[in-house]
Amino acid sequence: MTLLQTLISGLLLGGIYSLISMGLNLILGVVRIINFAHGELLMIAMYISFLFYSTMGLDPYVSAILVIACLFLLGIITQRFLIQPILDTPASTKIFATLGLSIALQNLALMTLSADHFSVRTSYQSDVINIGELAISIPRLIAFIVAISVAVLLYLFLKKTMTGKAIRAVAMQRQAAYLMGVNVKKIYLLAFGIGSALVGLAGAMLMPIYSVYPTLGTTFVLIAFVVVVLGGMGSMFGAFFGGLIIGLVEALSGVLLDTGLKEAVYFAIFILVLLFRPSGIFSLGKGAEEVGLK
Amino acid sequence: MKKFLMFLMAAMLIVLTACGGKEAGGGDSDTLEIGALFPLSGDLALLGEESFRGAELAVEEINKNGGIDGKKVKLVKGDATDADAAQAEANRLVNQENIKAIVGSFSSSISFAASEVAERNSVLYWELGAVSDSITDRKYKYVLRTNPPASYFSKVHVDFINDVVAEKLGKNVKDIKVAITHEDSSYGTTIAEEAKKLAEKEGINVVSVQGYSAGTNDLSSVVLNLKKAAPDVLIAVSYMNDAILLTRQSAELGFKVPVFLGSGGGHTMADFQEAVGDKADGIFDVDFPQYSINREFTPGMDEFLKMYKDKYSKDPRSGHSLSNYMGMKVVLDVLAEVGEVDPDKLKDAALKYKAEAGKTSTGWGVEFNPENGQNTKSEPYVHQWINGELITVWPKKVSLEEPQISNK
Repeated sequence: MTLLQTLISGLLLGGIYSLISMGLNLILGVVRIINFAHGELLMIAMYISFLFYSTMGLDPYVSAILVIACLFLLGIITQRFLIQPILDTPASTKIFATLGLSIALQNLALMTLSADHFSVRTSYQSDVINIGELAISIPRLIAFIVAISVAVLLYLFLKKTMTGKAIRAVAMQRQAAYLMGVNVKKIYLLAFGIGSALVGLAGAMLMPIYSVYPTLGTTFVLIAFVVVVLGGMGSMFGAFFGGLIIGLVEALSGVLLDTGLKEAVYFAIFILVLLFRPSGIFSLGKGAEEVGLK
Repeated sequence: MKKFLMFLMAAMLIVLTACGGKEAGGGDSDTLEIGALFPLSGDLALLGEESFRGAELAVEEINKNGGIDGKKVKLVKGDATDADAAQAEANRLVNQENIKAIVGSFSSSISFAASEVAERNSVLYWELGAVSDSITDRKYKYVLRTNPPASYFSKVHVDFINDVVAEKLGKNVKDIKVAITHEDSSYGTTIAEEAKKLAEKEGINVVSVQGYSAGTNDLSSVVLNLKKAAPDVLIAVSYMNDAILLTRQSAELGFKVPVFLGSGGGHTMADFQEAVGDKADGIFDVDFPQYSINREFTPGMDEFLKMYKDKYSKDPRSGHSLSNYMGMKVVLDVLAEVGEVDPDKLKDAALKYKAEAGKTSTGWGVEFNPENGQNTKSEPYVHQWINGELITVWPKKVSLEEPQISNK
């Protein structure tokens, strides 16, 4: 029974990781930016969600659409004024820029909002669905379902719509796409915007589960990177299943081995993946760590 | 254009060095400078800042009353986010700011690293809040600590189980099953290990010990392991994030324990109660003195609370500020006796300094062990969340209410 419950808890946790990682993956796949400030975008999304809750009494699920809009805008601003000017610089410059942004945002939050932990309190927050002895937390289940929906919708968007195809074209070959008449700058803006909007959605879904504080992002961003590399950079379903795998590994190693070793186990897996399948489990295969989005 | 830039940079360099120069000349005749090393940003900022506020208030108070022999006391801040930063900041305070005594530091790992630097440079390191025993166990010449260390916490855990829990549960102490869960930095590990050792010495059955990293996003495996062990008493050592997660996920996964004993950190904080609501009720918390306490035993607490509210326009987040305030007042008392910031003289005066229990704002007495610099008259108390308020319930001399334990 414990094992089954562990599997459920792990899957639900994995859903949260997937949700957070998909935006990072999109940005990484299209704009080719390793966005170290991804965790801070999550933190900001949760603060915004909390703000709507505390000032207007809006439930996090209701205000989700507003949070998504805010983060979409924030993403576009970041892309336009921070990333776009340094797109043609070496990778190290981009790393410093996003890392710098991450530290700046953390400290800005610390200065303006203090180090307090803010939480929302809702009636359904600790509700569970009980099946026999098994318990499924409702907010976590919702986050899980949202993660699946996002993965599917994003896949359809990228595969079926003209804009989606343009995004994929830019991801595959920036120059060629440009020559074919795709407005590359606009696509970058859009990709960063959507990537951030997805974090916004994640933040709204996490608000009933976690409390928000300035360094919240750091606990998630590392895992998001592991998930993205594990699943295969640029692969949306890769990020989704990568998240689930990490969630399961974390929960199972906690119960079967030792709760203190959870992190060690999934980082060990991470290193093994880098050694033996550097393009990720769900990638197209050799060389896919460099190109594409699918 | 290039020339202009060069000129600009040169100008900035001059301005910067000029600023540096002003600092380096510190410690003149009209101020007494003391280093204050706390985590003011980063992961530990919440309680680090809270701790610093206590020290800051004590200094402001003495300056308002004319300082020491007409000299103002000044805290020179260092932001020590982790052990590495602590070392760097301690070095900066000692070598660049020419500081001779440092107070700190909330976090054990920070204290451990920074006191190392202080000892090497014969600078006094006066700990006001970090609890790891190893800080004083090294028997350094220049380390003092006013607050109780982890082993005192563990002792209170076990004494409380012996004196109160066993009777309320209607069980023999030897039949009580205790589980321990702790975050696995130096703070959590020391308290947990010490509690296990003491409990086993008393013949109490320790059925499970679950460590985890405080930065974790998920404690479901910890909760499930605890559920399997089905303890009567759970001793938890947590920071904030993990304390909230533990309570929420315990409720989600249907894990209940008759007696939940927290150990300060997250379980003390108003934010914790905000986050989990009435699920906090009934939780015990062994920690530094808090504010719903028998104030006859803690003279000066009311004044402290007033000063705090005046300056920060809200109530303290936890008792950390109070303990640091009380400790800083001892530092200032000793400093007033010596009249200058001289590590050796301060240490000697501190060893002679005595205060009785029930005469300070925390209720602690003061008497330093000359061997290792630990204040032997400090003690943590047991508090309980009752109707959303953290009330001191044990020992009797400081308690406002009886500990409430339901047998079910």
